[in-house]
Amino acid sequence: MEFKHKQLSNGLVLVGEVNKSAKSAAVGFFVKTGSRDETEQINGVSHYLEHMLFKGTEKLSALEVNEAFDRTGAQFNAFTSEENTVFYAALLPEYLMEVTELWIELMRPALRDEDFNIEKDVIKEEIAMYKDLPSFDVMDRCRRLHFAGHPCGNSVLGTEESVGGLTAEQMREYFAGRYAPNNMALACTGNFDWEQLCSIVEESCGKWQQRPARRELEGCGGSKKKERIEKPNLAREHICLMSSGVSAQDPRRFAASILGMIIGDDVGSRFFWGLVDKALAEAASMQFAALDGTGIFCSYIRCSRERVSEVLDIVSGIFRGLAEKGITEDELRKAKNKILSALVIKNELPMGRLVDLGFNWIYNEEYRTIEEDVNAIKAVSVDDVHSLIEQFNPGEFTQFSIGPAQNSS
Amino acid sequence: MAEKLDKYTLKNGMVLLGERMEGVESAAFGFMLPCGASLLSEGCCGAGSVISDWIFRGAGVRDSRQLSDALDGLGLHRAGSVSSSHLTIGAVLEASNLTQALDLYADIIIRASLKEDQFKLARQLAIDSVYALDDDPRQKVMLKLREQFYPPPLGRSALGEIAELEALTVEKTAQIIKDKFNLSQTIFTFAGKYDFELVCRQIESLFEHSEDSGGQVEISVGDRAGKYTHIENDGAQVHIGLMTGTVKPADEDYYNARVSVSVLSGGMSARLFTEVREKRGLCYAIGARYHGLKDMAGVMCYAGTTPEKAQETLDVIIAEFNRLAEGVSEEEIARAKVGLKSSLILQSESSGSRAGGLGSDYYILGRVRSLDEIKERIEATSVESVLGFLRNNRFKDFTIVTIGPKQVNVK
Repeated sequence: MEFKHKQLSNGLVLVGEVNKSAKSAAVGFFVKTGSRDETEQINGVSHYLEHMLFKGTEKLSALEVNEAFDRTGAQFNAFTSEENTVFYAALLPEYLMEVTELWIELMRPALRDEDFNIEKDVIKEEIAMYKDLPSFDVMDRCRRLHFAGHPCGNSVLGTEESVGGLTAEQMREYFAGRYAPNNMALACTGNFDWEQLCSIVEESCGKWQQRPARRELEGCGGSKKKERIEKPNLAREHICLMSSGVSAQDPRRFAASILGMIIGDDVGSRFFWGLVDKALAEAASMQFAALDGTGIFCSYIRCSRERVSEVLDIVSGIFRGLAEKGITEDELRKAKNKILSALVIKNELPMGRLVDLGFNWIYNEEYRTIEEDVNAIKAVSVDDVHSLIEQFNPGEFTQFSIGPAQNSS
Repeated sequence: MAEKLDKYTLKNGMVLLGERMEGVESAAFGFMLPCGASLLSEGCCGAGSVISDWIFRGAGVRDSRQLSDALDGLGLHRAGSVSSSHLTIGAVLEASNLTQALDLYADIIIRASLKEDQFKLARQLAIDSVYALDDDPRQKVMLKLREQFYPPPLGRSALGEIAELEALTVEKTAQIIKDKFNLSQTIFTFAGKYDFELVCRQIESLFEHSEDSGGQVEISVGDRAGKYTHIENDGAQVHIGLMTGTVKPADEDYYNARVSVSVLSGGMSARLFTEVREKRGLCYAIGARYHGLKDMAGVMCYAGTTPEKAQETLDVIIAEFNRLAEGVSEEEIARAKVGLKSSLILQSESSGSRAGGLGSDYYILGRVRSLDEIKERIEATSVESVLGFLRNNRFKDFTIVTIGPKQVNVK
């Protein structure tokens, strides 16, 4: 695999990792914008804008955009998070240039009023869909409670009210400020021709105007508050726990991933043996998520209403045990093996590689080979994990629960 | 395409199917055991869900914890599922650990400890996952849809029913394992990086001598359930599941059916997405796909929408199914074909999806299709062949399930 890099004079970065033996390729625009870059009045605009990019340009209607993608057989889509909006496609190498040109064109959308209005209904349906998924809803609410006013607590989807009140003009203004070439990167992996890619991008994106696009990075200790709401139609208690962790820029992020896996991998973790193996909770998992300038450990637990206090006592015991006795060498070894094999499997696909390549650039402006990541994980010691536990005690968490009425089963 | 298919049959009838892949360091494998939900006796259909947990709670010389530690020590990512026909257990891992993993899986399949205390926990988790389904209406509607569409026992939910799970005993469940973990009917699939000779010798020595538990089960199929089922739920959306019959995977017209479904719902320019979401803004999630069992198949569609739009959504979906036979354009067929071919090739890069594909091909068709064969068959379809198929096999008799605060009118 060969790493390639280029920066246009307007700040747009191109990163590539060429693997001539791959059967496919993947390409994506990584835009450094998400719900944390929104104000309350326009909450949901990043995600809504992601939808609107598919609605066409001055030259193309929405249907023509979809047809153009489908003619190539590409598997294409986009996603928006708290801090990134990513547009990607996995495809056969012969279609790469065509699809890249299409993405480039879509990055300068028409944002027409009539498309804006009809898509608002789709967004409202998406908000309604997630309301019916308590496992998602509880995370969204817990994040807001944990970040307590910090922009990382902003909901990605926004609310029916914030989306309902949004105007096309507000979106155009947000777009102009955030989709500046200096605030995005184009990444490409798999079997493709780097020189050809560069010439297309230079010709089409070179005229994009640079604009200042800032993001305030404030730390956040988390509110450590506890809240619960009831929904009479639910059968189970859905619990989310959130505590602070290291950032995407912090070299300790590898140790943090290992800690998350030791506490809350689906099988073989402390949560698994304490809760799931004993059939006290049907699901219990923890993941570490590195963010720009901050980070979180996030757990999700699902159990019956009657088990809640027993489950939470066990969770407290697990966190106490970690703070007092730490982890074992054996736990560390198993967690490393699982992370390393997942890394190998994921990176066999150009699409899996694209995500790492793009995010390494967005967060750290660096290229990391798979070997560098493997070595960083192998190098984590028990002491590294212990000092993380000491600094970011996962036992001091924010908690949000959604469940049935107290007196029902 | 540079794939290489390997096949070997053990003396006890167990079939080994492998596909070597270039340039990968991973291997994926799966044991397809003939213990699917439709093969279990009445009242036991959730047993597969209990069994796939119970057998991992200690096997051979290892107790539950030691077994789990041994699997984790290999960095193995477990994969398991219970379908209508099979209970499949397997994993994806780094190829260098394959031999050790297969030793452990032989213990799990042949020498599971099956302790009573562990049974109770496995059964409780199975019961809890049925309860949890109530909080995931999107998944629940599709399970109910299959149950209603396929005549019993073919469409049974592998999760089972709470009362049935509560009535399961250690003895009954252990007997199911003894009867259904029938190696003569088991298909072992693997893909990625491996040494075929080595895998065959190892599987042979691990499984060849184990006792065969008998012949194949004949299922007698009952009558299809109701046309429309509504489950009341005070949620934000009405979740609509809709299914209609089509040709089965072994049929001559299978590829025409697949291309038809792609015209309906292959990409974002396909008809359902365009008509339901893009033009009318009725839904966020809308899509249809082909779903095939060995002897029966259908096109399965999901849409989630707020209550006031539910009726219009359903009406537009049914109108689109009906409109297909009126005509499809050259452009639509071309897009459907390139979409199917490209997803085939993209999937072929993943060892996990290749191993799964080998097994389902062999079970359903009695042989494994090469990627080239599939590509050629897709390529051979045309506007004429697809329209001919659609006119001879009109979509009718829709089975519909809704979950939500409001019912729909079904004509």
